[in-house]
Amino acid sequence: MSDSNGWDQFGDLVGGIPLTLELTVASFAIGAVVGVPLVLARRSQFRLTRGLAVMIIDLARGIPMITWLFVIYFALPQAGIRFSQFAAAVLGLGLLTAAMMAEIYRAGIAAVPKGQWEAGRTLGLSERRLFLDVAVPQAARVAIPPTATLLIGLLKDTAIASTLGVAEITYRAQIAAQNTYKGLTIFALAAGLYIVLSLPVAALSRWLDRWLHQKWTVA
Amino acid sequence: MGGGLLHDWAQQIGPLAQGLWVSARLAVVGLAVGLPLGLLLAIGVGSKGRSLRWACVGIVEIARGTPMLVVLQLVYFGLPQVNITLSSFVAAVVSIAVITAAYTSEIFRSGLAAVPHGQQDAARALGLRTADRLRYVIVPQGIRIAIPPLLNFAILIFQGTSLAFTIAVPELMAQAYGIGASTFLYMQVLSLAGLMYAAITLPSAAGVRLLEKRLGRHVAAAA
Amino acid sequence: MSEAHTSAIGPNHLVPVDSSPGAVVLRGVGKKFTDDYAVTDVSLTVARGEVLAIIGPSGAGKSSLLRCINLLDAPTAGEIVVDGIQVRGADGTTVAGKELAELRRRVGMVFQSFNLFPHLSVLQNVSLAQTRVLGRSKAEANARSLDLLERVGLADKAAQHPTRLSGGQQQRVAIARALALDPSVMLFDEPTSALDPELGLEVLAVMRELADEGMTMLIVSHELHFAEEVSDRILVMADGRAIESGPPEQVLRNPTHARTQQFLGALHER
Repeated sequence: MSDSNGWDQFGDLVGGIPLTLELTVASFAIGAVVGVPLVLARRSQFRLTRGLAVMIIDLARGIPMITWLFVIYFALPQAGIRFSQFAAAVLGLGLLTAAMMAEIYRAGIAAVPKGQWEAGRTLGLSERRLFLDVAVPQAARVAIPPTATLLIGLLKDTAIASTLGVAEITYRAQIAAQNTYKGLTIFALAAGLYIVLSLPVAALSRWLDRWLHQKWTVA
Repeated sequence: MGGGLLHDWAQQIGPLAQGLWVSARLAVVGLAVGLPLGLLLAIGVGSKGRSLRWACVGIVEIARGTPMLVVLQLVYFGLPQVNITLSSFVAAVVSIAVITAAYTSEIFRSGLAAVPHGQQDAARALGLRTADRLRYVIVPQGIRIAIPPLLNFAILIFQGTSLAFTIAVPELMAQAYGIGASTFLYMQVLSLAGLMYAAITLPSAAGVRLLEKRLGRHVAAAA
Repeated sequence: MSEAHTSAIGPNHLVPVDSSPGAVVLRGVGKKFTDDYAVTDVSLTVARGEVLAIIGPSGAGKSSLLRCINLLDAPTAGEIVVDGIQVRGADGTTVAGKELAELRRRVGMVFQSFNLFPHLSVLQNVSLAQTRVLGRSKAEANARSLDLLERVGLADKAAQHPTRLSGGQQQRVAIARALALDPSVMLFDEPTSALDPELGLEVLAVMRELADEGMTMLIVSHELHFAEEVSDRILVMADGRAIESGPPEQVLRNPTHARTQQFLGALHER
């Protein structure tokens, strides 16, 4: 037991920032990408595809994150599939993000007024062109705020990786608290770090929303 | 393998059910404490008094910006530093209550703001004073509007109780992990635990969607 | 029909400071919202028992003016005296606290969008202010509410919720609610504008009865026939100013101001 007052561990906590950020970015990347086939399946004309997509999304969102992480890290080895702690965390967070992004994409597409599709078709645009040039930009505008919220939430959710032993901020805080018995100070500092890290994302989202509002607003 | 799985599940379901009961109690008590606080915070955030407003906004922003896992650890491992030692269940309840209060204050605030302005006009024109306006006109309507998002939040909190595992609360995940660690039947026990969560969250979510449709009636259409 | 009170528009000194009971007096009233002036220099007097109809194009400031009278919005200039209560003094002081509550008891208001409380029954809507503002007992309040609902022809709907009623019925309940506090002045802000013509008729019938019973009323409305029939005087507003006033036959048949002619002409075109 050391005599430190807790603030000395601040350096340790800061050392966890890179991993926290890596977890966030990697999970988001997986989620944003995997969300696309997922939403397409969700909107498919085939009932089987649709049903499967709905089931995946519902289960992903209806079962706690920590359960999914444990399944990936502890249960899959029973079937011979082994992941490192970091990989398991990213995979778990990424898949859950994919489910949430699929819903965000879905809401974004639904927000495109029906008239746009009809007008595009009568103009002779192919479905693919319609989708890419007409729907996506408008859907993007609607999707930005919830995506920013998701990103900030994801940053906080990476704390769960500590349960697998990934040495990000929360894990380091736990170790430091055990060593110094100054848990209050240390966890408060950790909380502060998360809050500070989320500020740029919130600011970026506001800026992006304003920029898109200017660019796409019809006079 | 199929018969083996059901056999495993039959053995695991007892302890898991006990854990589920703890999870449910955690969620219910935490919400029961946190929701009224959330409403108070919402009113505080909207109040005219500057220091009250800032204090409430501060509490909300800090609690919302902190991961729930960190809040749990702070309350359980950290508070002893200032001589407050709580049992793991109580610490979990306190954490859930704090998180609930912070997040639901935003939900309540939106609900209160969504009450059509004409309601305030009518209440003021009748001479009702502020406390009565809030109590009889604005808050009842605001709460009704806030019910679906609050229910969805409750479902999330129920899933969040799984984190109490890290502070030694014997809830569902703790039981599942314990069984997994001793029998190495992780896949079996974790899948059962997952299904038990889903069995509660999925029908509840569907129920909220249904409720949303029906609740449209007794609320004044937003002008 | 009242006499003597001058057609009060224009320079302040023409307006008699009449604080006789039941009268509504405005002098040089203005209302500014951030950048624009919704109302500029409006003066008028409504004697007790008089019915004043306020007409004019949209955006003329009619609603803003009305809302200044019971201080739903605070006027930024001028004086207002209602039934002896100085709502706003020339020095800018506005009534507050107990006096404000008294003002709102004496002035009843009916809104374009009814604004009934949807989570309460019709009866509760009419009784709420009686118990909370006047301190009447529940029994007394409910009895009085039923009387009023009877008067507007809706006693059988007392237990229902407003969302179940038609627009015309809701507005009649709103009138009953406003009457529940025994006001001496009633303000109507486009009471039938949100209603189909047929439903509007039932509301106008109730208003006509009120006028016949001698209630002091200020009515902002587009219903010119009704205004001609029921009001003692008509005030025309445009661009935030009072531009013409006088007996209905005069204002509606022989308007003197160009803007009035323009407004009425446009209405006749449709």
